[in-house]
Amino acid sequence: MEDKRRDIYGAKMNSLEEEQLIRCPICEAVNRDEGKKNICRRCNSKIYQHQKFQTEKSWAFLITAIIFYIPANLYPMLVIKQFGNEDGSTILGGVIVLWEMGSYPVALVILFASVFVPLLKFLLLLYLLISVNYSLGNDSKVDKHTLYYITEIIGPWSMIDVFVVAILAGLIHLSSMEMVAGAASTAFALSVFFTIMAAHSFDSRLIKGRK
Amino acid sequence: MPLVVYKNFPYTFVLLYQNMKTKITSDQLDELIICHKCHTLHKKVSITNGSKALCKSCKGVLYHRDDSLIEKGLALSITGLILFILANAFPLIKVDILGQEQVISILSMVVRLVESEYYIVALFVVYLVFIFPLMIFLIYITLFFLLKTTQKEQVVEELLILLSKIVPWNMSDIFLISILVSLVKLMGMLEIHIGISFWTLTLFVIIDIYMTRSIHIGELWKIKEEIYMEPK
Repeated sequence: MEDKRRDIYGAKMNSLEEEQLIRCPICEAVNRDEGKKNICRRCNSKIYQHQKFQTEKSWAFLITAIIFYIPANLYPMLVIKQFGNEDGSTILGGVIVLWEMGSYPVALVILFASVFVPLLKFLLLLYLLISVNYSLGNDSKVDKHTLYYITEIIGPWSMIDVFVVAILAGLIHLSSMEMVAGAASTAFALSVFFTIMAAHSFDSRLIKGRK
Repeated sequence: MPLVVYKNFPYTFVLLYQNMKTKITSDQLDELIICHKCHTLHKKVSITNGSKALCKSCKGVLYHRDDSLIEKGLALSITGLILFILANAFPLIKVDILGQEQVISILSMVVRLVESEYYIVALFVVYLVFIFPLMIFLIYITLFFLLKTTQKEQVVEELLILLSKIVPWNMSDIFLISILVSLVKLMGMLEIHIGISFWTLTLFVIIDIYMTRSIHIGELWKIKEEIYMEPK
């Protein structure tokens, strides 16, 4: 292992600047940024090799996620069939019903997980993707690495609503009362999936030096 | 070289390379670490057993030192797997509706979603709360067993790469919160009984969170390198 490394870097024993060092997202080893072909010296995985389209992949996932978020809010998330009546509630409708029922904490959790978290993620990713290509005034004081870390951390929490629908639909299916998943659950799950993909495919090297 | 170490038991703060006038050469890369939160470059220092090195700028954990990490990891992952199997073997929640009992487990939930033709949602649920958690714990057991017995370095490397790819997709903790949310939603309408599996799932999630927090994949790579270097 040691010898192999010296073969690769032995010829270039120059000193390195902090800007030239990158972190392998797979094994966390510190690597030097070789530009086009970065292969981690420890786990041999590729580190951000898509040089020709640095932000486009992330943009594509983000736009897909935003498109899926629209039907996720328009169609019912959960349909309650009771005594022949069908009653579907959207995400916001469900929050309002919970609020009126008096269960404020749950209403707030759902509001946070299914409305605030996706919107916050869209805005943060839009900001990051725009700001690495165009200068947005005086943004040098904004800690973009922390913003990126936040988008990665909060992402999965929006799945709460999808899981709740799956639990309720699985639990209550009688002839007199039945709960089934609505069209919005598919759209919402896909939206969450694509925002996580957008965050994962964002090349954090682009932030470097513009902190 | 502006190395400052604050020893503030039980944490050890490690900070270095604040002003980047210092020269770093290529063979020093192993001594460096980049914080995963704020991407600040640090130089590793040796810390005592049981302590943590924290990032200077964001106070996030950079690395730990735990001399019995493999044994602990093996014990925890076997416990986790047993709890996970129990959590899937018994009902999570039971409700009484007009004298009829309805029970639910993770897999029956998926079956129900497939029956009502929500294939994509079913796929998400089965992967995020069943397949990935199961895979993660099976990988942990294999990994720690191989590390303990110093076998098959190639397999260990592949497992570590696979592990780091699926860990972000494990959502058992979020699923637990979702169960609580749906319990509150149903509370006014029906009579609810919490099943045995709910408690085993809770314990499983606690172990899962503890393991993802205390076992960094970067550290496992380092331990792996040390273990397989020695005998030859």
